[in-house]
Amino acid sequence: MSNFFYVAPEQMTKDRATFAQKGIARGRSILASVYDIGVLMVAENPSVSLNKISEVYDRIAFAGVGKYNEFDRLREAGIRWADTTGYTYARDDVDARALANFYAQHVGDMFSEGPKPLEVEILVAQLGNMFHETKLYQIAYDGTISDESHFAVLGGDAESVKTRYQALFTEPVSRELTLRNAVSALAGSERTIASTELEVGILEDRGARRAFLRLHPDAIGEMLGA
Amino acid sequence: MGLPLFSASADPGPSFFHYSRAIGLEFPPTSNENLQAMSPHATTVVAVRYNGGVIMVADRQATGSYIASRDVRKVEAADQYTAIAISGTAARGMQFIRIAQLSFEHYEKMTNSSLSLEGKANYLSPIIQGNNLTSPLVVIPLLAGWDRSHQMGRVFEYDGAGGTYERHDFATIGSGSPFAESALRLGFRADMDQEEALELGALAIYEAGDNDPSTGGPDFVRNLFPMMVVIDASGYREIPSESVGERFRAISERRASTGGIPGGTLR
Repeated sequence: MSNFFYVAPEQMTKDRATFAQKGIARGRSILASVYDIGVLMVAENPSVSLNKISEVYDRIAFAGVGKYNEFDRLREAGIRWADTTGYTYARDDVDARALANFYAQHVGDMFSEGPKPLEVEILVAQLGNMFHETKLYQIAYDGTISDESHFAVLGGDAESVKTRYQALFTEPVSRELTLRNAVSALAGSERTIASTELEVGILEDRGARRAFLRLHPDAIGEMLGA
Repeated sequence: MGLPLFSASADPGPSFFHYSRAIGLEFPPTSNENLQAMSPHATTVVAVRYNGGVIMVADRQATGSYIASRDVRKVEAADQYTAIAISGTAARGMQFIRIAQLSFEHYEKMTNSSLSLEGKANYLSPIIQGNNLTSPLVVIPLLAGWDRSHQMGRVFEYDGAGGTYERHDFATIGSGSPFAESALRLGFRADMDQEEALELGALAIYEAGDNDPSTGGPDFVRNLFPMMVVIDASGYREIPSESVGERFRAISERRASTGGIPGGTLR
């Protein structure tokens, strides 16, 4: 007969949280911020093909930090969910809040019941219109969901990046200035980030149905004045 | 519907068709022969290649035992560089267009790259087969687009069982095909420019509308005209209805001046 040891739920939750935090802390942070006419997401990412920021639907984008295979599977599930919902009802019926809730439930279930918690933190960003609000939904490794109206930071170094960006953010400004502020908050005072190390995605009304645009490295360099 | 997560071995990949089969969302098989009589049909569409791309012209009539609609859109942009047209059962055709549009965008978002034009043509094949071999609600589409890797316009047609065939000159679908095809066969040349291709395509639809009861010609009373579409290096665009109206008015006046006789020339 095998021994079954009692582990207090407090202890188990603490152990699992420590495990997930360690995994997430290994990667760089992502900053998402509302600007005057859109939403900007910036990630430090030296890879040009393994993306951290992605289009989900007409006005919804996804960003993830932590283990790539884990958040990429969530990204794919989000696209499938959005496309199926839009096909079943109408494009306007696809809402980021519903998707963020599904993510929170799944990530939360994995945290408390899965073989191991997911080592990810994800963001669902939505550009508002007549039907939906501009919102940034942040889902932590334990399924905790929060909604931000102005900016959100994901990843290991989130608290210090957040403090630095808070000092720069007063109200939504231009896309260029938002990007410069975001990059300086991500870098901090000790280091600089080359524009080639950045992945930037935006949600902005540009006269097309699909608001998402992945910025070309040249455009990022130009915006940063490099 | 909850979050659609799959294990690595069961993952349907970037294909919306395979994913929709995995979750049970697809064209349901139907065996009721009466369904065919219940659903209006969509009719003649032509696609013509020219030296800088491809044009499409489509009539706008949906026909049951009476004219069910006069302003149906039988051509739609499937994505920025691809147009898809339908003939056969209107209900299934419209659904087919939605699935094609959704699938190409789905693939793009899942993989961060777009399908090749040939990839799009082949992708549609099993969907057509799945529908046409299990249902009397037959759909025959036509795919035309700008192939960005080969820098040319290309046309793909399908048979009822989903077989895909590339056409290097022109293609027609729908009940007015014999009349449209005759005009295209007489007028087609390999080195046509866009204007010549548009004029030939318009004539072909004019002929089909003139002779086929299920194809709507230009409607000068309601100012409803066939759809004309160009797909070239800058993508898909629709010719404004006023300009299409002028073109058909000119054709109609030429015909009226000779008492309806083309006179042995394409005019």
